[in-house]
Amino acid sequence: MKYNLELIKNKRKIIGFSTVLILLSLLGILYSTFNTSYKKPINLGMDFVGGNELRIERVCEEECSNFSPDSVLEKLRETSKNKNFLNNIKLQFQNNNKLISIRTPYLSIEESNNLINTLDNIVGPLNYESKDSRLIGPKLGKRLLINCVTSLLVSLFAISLYITIRFDKKYALFSLLALFHDLVIVFGLFSWLGIILSVEVNSLFAVSLLTIAGYSVNDTVVIFDRIRENLKSKKGGYNETIELSVNESFRRTTFTSITTLFPLLSIVLFGSYSLFWFSLALSLGIIVGSYSSILLAPSLLLKD
Amino acid sequence: MKRRQGWLFFIIFLLTLSVYLLINYPLQLGLDLQGGSQLTLQIIKEEGKVTRDELEAVNSVIDRRVNNLGVSESNLQTLGGDQLILELPGEQNPLVASRVLGKTALLEFRTQKEGTSTDLKTLQLQRFSIKELIEKYSSTEKSQYDDNFLKIIEGDLKVIEQELNYSSTSNDLFGKLIEIKKYINNEITNLFIKTDLSGKDLINAGRRQEQTNSNWEVLLTFSNSGGEKFAEITKSIAGTNQLLAIILDGESISEASVGNQFANTGITGGSATISGNFSAENARELEVQLKGGSLPLPIEIVETNTIGALLGSKNILKSLYAAISGLIFVGIFMIFNYRILGFVSVLSLVLYGFFNLALYSLIPVTLTLPGISGLILSIGMAVDANILIFERIREELYDGNTLTRSIDSGFQRANSSIIDGHITTLLSCFVLFLLGTNFVKGFAATLGIGVLISLFTSLNCSKTILRFFTTYQSLRQKNLYLPRNNFSN
Repeated sequence: MKYNLELIKNKRKIIGFSTVLILLSLLGILYSTFNTSYKKPINLGMDFVGGNELRIERVCEEECSNFSPDSVLEKLRETSKNKNFLNNIKLQFQNNNKLISIRTPYLSIEESNNLINTLDNIVGPLNYESKDSRLIGPKLGKRLLINCVTSLLVSLFAISLYITIRFDKKYALFSLLALFHDLVIVFGLFSWLGIILSVEVNSLFAVSLLTIAGYSVNDTVVIFDRIRENLKSKKGGYNETIELSVNESFRRTTFTSITTLFPLLSIVLFGSYSLFWFSLALSLGIIVGSYSSILLAPSLLLKD
Repeated sequence: MKRRQGWLFFIIFLLTLSVYLLINYPLQLGLDLQGGSQLTLQIIKEEGKVTRDELEAVNSVIDRRVNNLGVSESNLQTLGGDQLILELPGEQNPLVASRVLGKTALLEFRTQKEGTSTDLKTLQLQRFSIKELIEKYSSTEKSQYDDNFLKIIEGDLKVIEQELNYSSTSNDLFGKLIEIKKYINNEITNLFIKTDLSGKDLINAGRRQEQTNSNWEVLLTFSNSGGEKFAEITKSIAGTNQLLAIILDGESISEASVGNQFANTGITGGSATISGNFSAENARELEVQLKGGSLPLPIEIVETNTIGALLGSKNILKSLYAAISGLIFVGIFMIFNYRILGFVSVLSLVLYGFFNLALYSLIPVTLTLPGISGLILSIGMAVDANILIFERIREELYDGNTLTRSIDSGFQRANSSIIDGHITTLLSCFVLFLLGTNFVKGFAATLGIGVLISLFTSLNCSKTILRFFTTYQSLRQKNLYLPRNNFSN
């Protein structure tokens, strides 16, 4: 089975398509930055800003009775002594009213315990064995954010350095361009998700960006390796050799992406709730990464 | 041939060893998989950095306190130079730990300033009334707050405020009560002068029920020098009107007089009792704090994570489904596309799984949810190298080479791109591990270990198994190695 991707013919289309994707991502990032409710390029979750998140199941005989979130919030406010508590609470009933998830600003452990007890009085009984509760102080959140940004920068630097040493400068530059392309698109997509669906990013999102970076470079490097090898040994035009090399490695690159996507999609489908957005980000990153390794990065190498 | 057999035996040996390790050293499950509480404690220092000595000191005090609490299998680790992570498996209420941890438990003994007797008596009375009010307020069911009840409390509070010549600034009634209580405590403490006897002079603390009523008291035993200081202090105020106050974290817990009979020697024997209307639980908490010693620096709980046991086991099950279905999908895909080669990669994937888990139990790596996702993700990446090699083998076959040669040069030629590709992933893992929080560390560790082991299984194990297969004539037909639709090529 031979593949015939016509890179030379479609160079403009490929670069144009990527440019549109990047512009859309930047638009999302900018929109989110200037949106009064976020004021950040991306909707930062409680990992980075601090807060309290609680998920707990109710014990119900058969069907869980219906409560309106507003009435529950009203009752919670009546009994609360904490001023913080009056604003910014999100309460949802999920899973046929069985699962309660609630988000508030940062509370002390005592206050958080009071909250659960009050909740138990209002909509209980609750199943404490199913509790998942996280409290993060605002200071720690800020520290985590700085930490994540630093580790992203440091590892991007390390990867650039490695490629520059291993390849010549032109290859290094283009594989890095492809890498930034992938990261910007995934980041932009999550900006949009934040704007449209209020999806928040946590420290696992930073992890997914780093993994995508490693993976994307990996993919590009394999193709560049092949290009370099073919340029040394085969006769034929420069552009044609690149196109041939891409077609030769096409199967390999799509297959490795597919085999990595399988486990990730299993996590999306069967895995725990807390890993859902993480594996989704990774899956998207791998899809965009394959596209940029197969089509974008080699197209950039082509001579006019 | 001999060398190949050697590798085969080595791999079988490693597999046996892995199975042995997994049976005898079970995997450590993180709290998100078994349920429990995790607290991140931040050491607070106004100026400068927390030194290593201070970190150690805080660590040991907290360690002692937690042990005294009697939570089994608790785990305390330091993180990033000024943080500690405390894990309490099975404990679903972090409040228990937080009450003991948050306190600096600074114990002081102070003597009363001269001529402050009247002031003290008034303050003590006011303290008594405010305590009663708080008790009344918090023991009443919220549903029974009617206007009348609130008015009575507010009225009583007004009287106290007038006597104190202080008005509270808080917005709600409870806040006002607490504020006034703090104010009174502060005023009382100010009537006393520091002595050089403090919690540092303690060697032990205990508790017992008072004989006359059901209240509890806490018993202090001083060191030799502490006992002498105590005798000195009690001697100096014996028979005077001055009282001795025991102050914990800035709040006077008890004020006692020293009888005239101690005027010559002071109270000797090196022990003292604090009685302050303690309930059994309060007395126990105080005992634990004192036994643990006082913290050299205050700490703050900056993060808590509580996961119910049921949720933990659900998480394990879900991860198991994800891992197994991921493996099955990958396996089917590989066998479908690469036939015999695919089967070889499935075998080396299984080996990969065993080696990975065995290494986790050996190092040991605590398995958490992000850790498991790192593991599952590395399954996909482990196949990556195999695919590179297999594609190369096929190219060689298409070029008309013999099977043995194709296999050899396929492995050889894929080497450099495999290593290049893996190194970039390893770099990311390394940075994540160094800079990440412990949540992230788990992912980085499992992914990194996975990538390293996959280098071994895909380069070595696959080759060994493949060579072993090709010793059988029936498995040497080229069409078993090429895609079904075009082996006529």
